[in-house]
Amino acid sequence: MQNNEELKLALLIALIAMLMMAFFVISFVMYYQKRRFEEEKKINDIEKNYNRLLLDTALNSEETERRRIAQDLHDDIGTMLSLTKLSLNQLSKLVNASENEKQEQIMKKSQSLVEETILHVRRITRDLVPTTLERFGLLEAIEEFIDKLEEDNNLVISFHSNTVEFPRQGQKLELTLYRIMQELVNNAIKHASCSSIEISLEIENEMIGLRVTDNGIGFDPEKIKENNLAGLGLLGIESRLAIVNGTVQYEKPAKGTGSSACARIPVMPMSENKPEPLHPFRREKVNA
Amino acid sequence: MLEIYFSYFKRQPLASIPVFLTLLPLLLIWQRKAYRDNAFLILGIYLMVKFVIDFIMFDWASHKRNTVVLYNFNVPVRYVLSSLIFYQKLETRRFKNWILASIPVFILFSIWDTLHTNPSLADLHNHKMVLYSTTVESLLMLFWVLLYFYNTIRALKIPNLLTYPFFWVCSGLLIYYSSFLFIAPVFHYSSKWEEWLEIGFLTYVPYMFESVSIILFSIGIAQFPDERYAK
Ligand SMILES: Nc1ncnc2c1ncn2[C@@H]1O[C@H](COP(=O)(O)OP(=O)(O)OP(=O)(O)O)[C@@H](O)[C@H]1O
Ligand SMILES: [Mg+2]
Repeated sequence: MQNNEELKLALLIALIAMLMMAFFVISFVMYYQKRRFEEEKKINDIEKNYNRLLLDTALNSEETERRRIAQDLHDDIGTMLSLTKLSLNQLSKLVNASENEKQEQIMKKSQSLVEETILHVRRITRDLVPTTLERFGLLEAIEEFIDKLEEDNNLVISFHSNTVEFPRQGQKLELTLYRIMQELVNNAIKHASCSSIEISLEIENEMIGLRVTDNGIGFDPEKIKENNLAGLGLLGIESRLAIVNGTVQYEKPAKGTGSSACARIPVMPMSENKPEPLHPFRREKVNA
Repeated sequence: MLEIYFSYFKRQPLASIPVFLTLLPLLLIWQRKAYRDNAFLILGIYLMVKFVIDFIMFDWASHKRNTVVLYNFNVPVRYVLSSLIFYQKLETRRFKNWILASIPVFILFSIWDTLHTNPSLADLHNHKMVLYSTTVESLLMLFWVLLYFYNTIRALKIPNLLTYPFFWVCSGLLIYYSSFLFIAPVFHYSSKWEEWLEIGFLTYVPYMFESVSIILFSIGIAQFPDERYAK
């Protein structure tokens, strides 16, 4: 039997060193992995925020552009048309004096055409910028939208809300809800071949719920997403909602056929965000 | 017969505990159905083989027979199975090939080592422990573990390592082989029937860390969700 104290000591030191190495490696791997993940998460967040900002800007500039077009239509074409109408009125007096049947007929036709054009321009301007929405809020705007639709379709569109006075929301939120409602109703008319549409707007626990139900053929949103059938409509709804932290759900209504879409958005009272300038482009011109 | 076992257990508790502790991760693999993951299936086989060999060694030791021949036999078997686990887990083709290539080389090397240290194989009583194989095995295994860690850090696929079963297995192997690396060659001189080298409590260090690594394996396997293992 041999006894070797020096060897034992050396071995002990080697053992401790190796174990320390092992612990160091394990904790390093754990720490490094954790840090990398946190960094990755941060980058993801930044990217997400950035994308949201981009989307927001895109939608904002779309609205601004609509506003500009509406303004131009109203101010330039509208004014010109009014002037044309005036001139035509003067001309018609002359024509009436000459008592030529044929000329008078043509005159009448021109006048009614100009009048119709004026109405059309006004309608297009109204459609481009929902002025009712800005002035009177969501309830009025939706009601107006429905009235206009019911006029030239034989559809029953009903609308109800759980509050009589729907509190005004931030401009962006109201516009988001309005555009979503517009797209959902348009979709129902376009695709569902339904006879009635039900719109409900509810506010509950700091959440606004917008539901559009039709009694048409119904559809499977999953299938549409999978098969890349979604047009700009459904995608647009989702990107609009992404900006305001909203969600949308499509479901089958409890009774009968058809489809029902429910968008939920957290409330954002008006006071919180500054009102945007109503006509940014005009303003620039005035200031310049 | 049981009395012999018990008295050996009482004389050598540190050496005997890991033999029976091996049953714990085996039981967990079975209970958590971890064997559905190929790597853990191999780990299960490894633990089963280890248990059988360890138990025979325990039996022989309690009857005062030289167990070194079994130990020498165990070295290549152990290496083949544990490196195959890493073959399953590493994703790069090149590293997989390295592992595959190392297996036959190591088997040949350990056979050569056994013959080299035991010129007369028939003399089981004076059979000696291999001199280099265990050190080479430790080095290789440490290398695979570090390689795996390196890949994990680079790939960044696992959100929480603490709930990732294989991380615990790797930690167990890393600690075991780190503790074993320098003691392994000395074992050749200390585990002899005659004229052995006295290294005191250091003899028991590998056994202690064997238990530690088995416990770490068990913790890892316990991380498997009860039902389905989500990749
Ligand atoms: N209310 C609905 N009833 C039945 N099918 C619907 C309804 N709403 C949407 N769909 C289906 O979902 C598809 C995608 O609708 P989406 O609004 O995204 O596109 P779109 O209306 O075809 O085009 P866009 O809105 O861009 O003009 C439609 O083509 C239609 O098949
Ligand atoms: Mg549409």
